[in-house]
Amino acid sequence: MTEPRVHTAPAADHYVLRLYITGSTPRSIRALSNIRRICNEHLAGHYDLEVIDIAEHPTLAEGEQIIAAPTLIKHLPLPLRRFIGDMSQTERILLGLDLVDSTRHP
Amino acid sequence: MAPDATIRRENAALQMRLEEAEETLRAIRGGDVDALVIEGTSGPQVYTLQGHDAEANRFRGEMLAQVSDAVLAIDGDQSIVYLNAAAERLYGFTLAQALGRRMSDIFETRWEMPADEQAAIGGLESDGEWRGEAVHVLHDGRMLHVDIGVTRLRKANGAPNGVLAVIRDVTERKQHELAVLVSEIRYRRLFETAHDGILILDPATRKIVDANPFMTQMLGYSRAELVGRELFEIGLLQDEAASQEMVRRLNLTRQVRYDNLPLESQSGRHQDVEVVANLYDENGHPVIQCNIRDITERRRNEDHVKLLMAEVNHRAKNLLAVVQAVADQTAKYGDPATFGARLSDRIAGIAAGQDLLVRNLWQGVEVTDLVRVQLAHFHELIGTRVHIDGPAARLSAAAAQGIGMAIHELATNAAKYGALSNRDGQVHIAWSLSTSTPPQFAMSWRETGGPPVVLPIRKGFGQIVVGRMVEAAIEGKVITEFATSGFHWSLTAPAAATLASAEPGT
Repeated sequence: MTEPRVHTAPAADHYVLRLYITGSTPRSIRALSNIRRICNEHLAGHYDLEVIDIAEHPTLAEGEQIIAAPTLIKHLPLPLRRFIGDMSQTERILLGLDLVDSTRHP
Repeated sequence: MAPDATIRRENAALQMRLEEAEETLRAIRGGDVDALVIEGTSGPQVYTLQGHDAEANRFRGEMLAQVSDAVLAIDGDQSIVYLNAAAERLYGFTLAQALGRRMSDIFETRWEMPADEQAAIGGLESDGEWRGEAVHVLHDGRMLHVDIGVTRLRKANGAPNGVLAVIRDVTERKQHELAVLVSEIRYRRLFETAHDGILILDPATRKIVDANPFMTQMLGYSRAELVGRELFEIGLLQDEAASQEMVRRLNLTRQVRYDNLPLESQSGRHQDVEVVANLYDENGHPVIQCNIRDITERRRNEDHVKLLMAEVNHRAKNLLAVVQAVADQTAKYGDPATFGARLSDRIAGIAAGQDLLVRNLWQGVEVTDLVRVQLAHFHELIGTRVHIDGPAARLSAAAAQGIGMAIHELATNAAKYGALSNRDGQVHIAWSLSTSTPPQFAMSWRETGGPPVVLPIRKGFGQIVVGRMVEAAIEGKVITEFATSGFHWSLTAPAAATLASAEPGT
């Protein structure tokens, strides 16, 4: 099996991410912990991660078509992408964030 | 854009949304989400998907939220997985801001001692917990002194799964402790370096519980020898009854003062001391503080001042008696028309001698100085017509007064009738000390070259001054000769009655 060629995002790509969680449930914490780790490893210095606790502020979910939590939305760079769950499937997230060369992915 | 391309792009977007929808459904079905958000009439509603232990977790969460100590948990990757409301307030981070971050993103830990960090790591490894103090430096530079209890968290299978920290902000307490420490150092230094003896006593037992170094110097006992003893046992109070009386009075008035107590050191050295005892409260316990000041030197000075005052009084009275006698005699023997001038002249002579004595602190006057002062009117003649010759000899105050007045009288007479009343006359003033036993002081006034000497018709006061008065002052013998060649006055007296002794104030 060929290892996916993971790369860091080009300097021009500034990532704007928004994570919707519900308080400090274990899954929310895992999701946050995982996404921070991915950002630190691949997007260090050019990303903004906003964490929104919809248990505290349900109205902030309005207009974003949030159906479940945890949900991560990549606003930039386009296209907009959303991910559901505890963000533990690193490879899928990296692929969705366009941080893996998909052509080399098996 | 070509229609094909548009269709392809829209297709791809639809495909992606379809995939996302499927993924969402899969996640909900697979139990990968915590909550569902349903659009209601009054906005989105959040429905939490609770497991069977969710209620218990919620209860624990609420409990921790209300704890006044900050509670913070990190997982095995060092990411923050929990912080309660107190931690949010303490560190200025919300839960959402802090989750998933490392503790070093929230604060920097500084250890008070380098060994503390190792102790913390070692304690966690060996016992699974550690408790201690550290300093947390926040992003805004604030430094929090914190008391930390850290416990290792474990999974159900016992594998390590991060740590839970309970953190209490003790900055205020630390600052207070520091202030107390500074105060303790400051007052300890006062206690240690004071040049008064200080004793701390327990009022219940009346025994010494502490003594400063100066106290040990004053008494010659070590601190260990002083502690446990009562004041009367170290010679500060007469007996046990006096010790009890002091405590009784302290309980009434809170301060007792003894202005002058005799105190003997272990080596027998006598000291006069002043003792001020205060009763005060020390953290709910009464203590007595005795300040003991050595006033031996002060007492000596006070005694000396008293002695000097008595001496001054005595001399003032003597002088007034002399002035009174001089005034009486001047009035009795002279021409009333010249009384004022003669009296004034004689008092000036006495004053000149007095000045000389004061300048010499009443410790006697050199004969040569006395002679020169009394001959001040003729100072231009000294060395030409007035010859002064004699060894160094210091006259006592009484002798200086008597001899001074005599010299003054002799000079006045010489100017009026004798060798200093013409242009050529000379005066020879000489004195000596014999080596006979007992030694004798001799002094003479010899006039030559003056007008022919005429024996006075009657004895005036001047003759009393140069005769009986000076004789009385120094137990001496005066001989006056009115020889034709010139007037001659000579005095002999025991040196012991004439000369100043080494002691001051004679």
